[in-house]
Amino acid sequence: MPNPPVSDARQAQRDFFWTLVRTDFKSRYEGTLLGFVWALMKPLFMFFVFYFVFSFIFPKRTYVFNLLIGLLLWDFFSSATKVGVYALSSKAFLLTKALFPRWILVVTSLANPLLTLLVWTITIVVVISIAHSVPPIWAILLFFVYLILLVLIVLGFALASSVLYLKYRDLDQIWDVTLQAGFFLAPIVYDISVLPERYHKLLFLWPLTPVLQFSRQVLIEHTAPTLKAHSLLVALTAAILLIGAVVFHKRAPRAVEQL
Amino acid sequence: MTDVVIRAHDVHKHFRIPSAKRSTVREHFFGIFTPRRFERLDVLAGVSFEIERGETVAIIGRNGCGKSTLLKILAGIYLPNAGSVDVRAGVTPILELGLNFNPQLNARENVYLTGTAMGLTIAKLEAELGQILAFAELERFADLELKHFSSGMCSRLAYAVAFRAVRDVLLLDEIFAVGDAGFTRRCEDRYRELNDAGHTIVLVSHSEATVSDFCKRAILIEQGVIVADGPAKDVSMIYEELLAKSR
Repeated sequence: MPNPPVSDARQAQRDFFWTLVRTDFKSRYEGTLLGFVWALMKPLFMFFVFYFVFSFIFPKRTYVFNLLIGLLLWDFFSSATKVGVYALSSKAFLLTKALFPRWILVVTSLANPLLTLLVWTITIVVVISIAHSVPPIWAILLFFVYLILLVLIVLGFALASSVLYLKYRDLDQIWDVTLQAGFFLAPIVYDISVLPERYHKLLFLWPLTPVLQFSRQVLIEHTAPTLKAHSLLVALTAAILLIGAVVFHKRAPRAVEQL
Repeated sequence: MTDVVIRAHDVHKHFRIPSAKRSTVREHFFGIFTPRRFERLDVLAGVSFEIERGETVAIIGRNGCGKSTLLKILAGIYLPNAGSVDVRAGVTPILELGLNFNPQLNARENVYLTGTAMGLTIAKLEAELGQILAFAELERFADLELKHFSSGMCSRLAYAVAFRAVRDVLLLDEIFAVGDAGFTRRCEDRYRELNDAGHTIVLVSHSEATVSDFCKRAILIEQGVIVADGPAKDVSMIYEELLAKSR
């Protein structure tokens, strides 16, 4: 009996990818559009609460937009890295059934948060254009580049955490605590200028900070960060992605033995 | 010309069993000063064999002799600690640990998910969904979420998908261990159909009856090494003697 033709195997892998995306969406939102819309409300609710409190502390006119961008990126970062931890363990039933490239499970686990991010991104660009000023095309393009870098950063975290979680079963709790601290380590609800200058460099090591600050700069102030700043962000992204990929590559082949 | 599809060369597999299991960062952190002892459990100690295309081979032996571990290594799910396994064909495993599903999805979605994971296209799965559900006697439950299924229903569905997805080589652990007489017979029929179509089949069992019924060749494993390899009838005789001796 001959192997199925190669194109068939390719097609099957593509089908597998999209079936994972579709079924993830279904089991997450119980197959309803309302469930999805409900999930979209979460960052919006956060926004109103924070805006109510912090607008008294930061009366600058642009604060509202900075907060919007901050919470949008934060919501993606936190929810995507949270599902990333479970990317392999929640699909144990597939890992034991067949040999497919394991990274597919990690990449597809990010699909749901990515969809939310896309919807919010478009909304926010529209809101800023109407309520503030229309950002130039290059600014919007740069913003999308930052988003792609953020997705790669999240992928790096997810690759490492998904495979480490199989060995360290409290990694999800540790990550929850890290995220709570991380929320205040990035200038999401506050303006970075309230902190002494000497701490800024440290803050920029937390990958969310540069993505956040650069996005605000291009969208709100319409100025571009320096080439050096850009190179540092790209290097940071590459380092995180590389570490994630190496950890995953080393541990994924033995993943099933730990289930 | 011989056409070898599976070549296992000097396969070793051991598991390190810790005196205390640590599965969290907390336990590792607070356990720095209380070193653990590891007991080494040698499961396979140098296993070599070749399987040719179209052969039906049974791996037999007593409980804990390493036969299921060997099958998982052939499936690529476990990695050997030493030695090599060369599989030159697509493999479809049906293992006892692979019988569960996503409980939140219905039967149809689970079939698509596991079917595509096993290398079938959606187009093929759509065309054969009826057959798969009929095989598992679950036609009426296509839209029911799996959390409402019994474990028997889940197993039948798993077998039905895997039997449909078989590529060149089929690996079976404790064949036909689920379902009633009717389901077992359908599995057996499908097994013979696959065999006639030229598929290679490797199955694991501890019952002599299955072995001589379903396989031409058998490999007997005892304490991690091969003690007999040959025609199924002869090897199962040796196995019976072995069982009688240890009684």
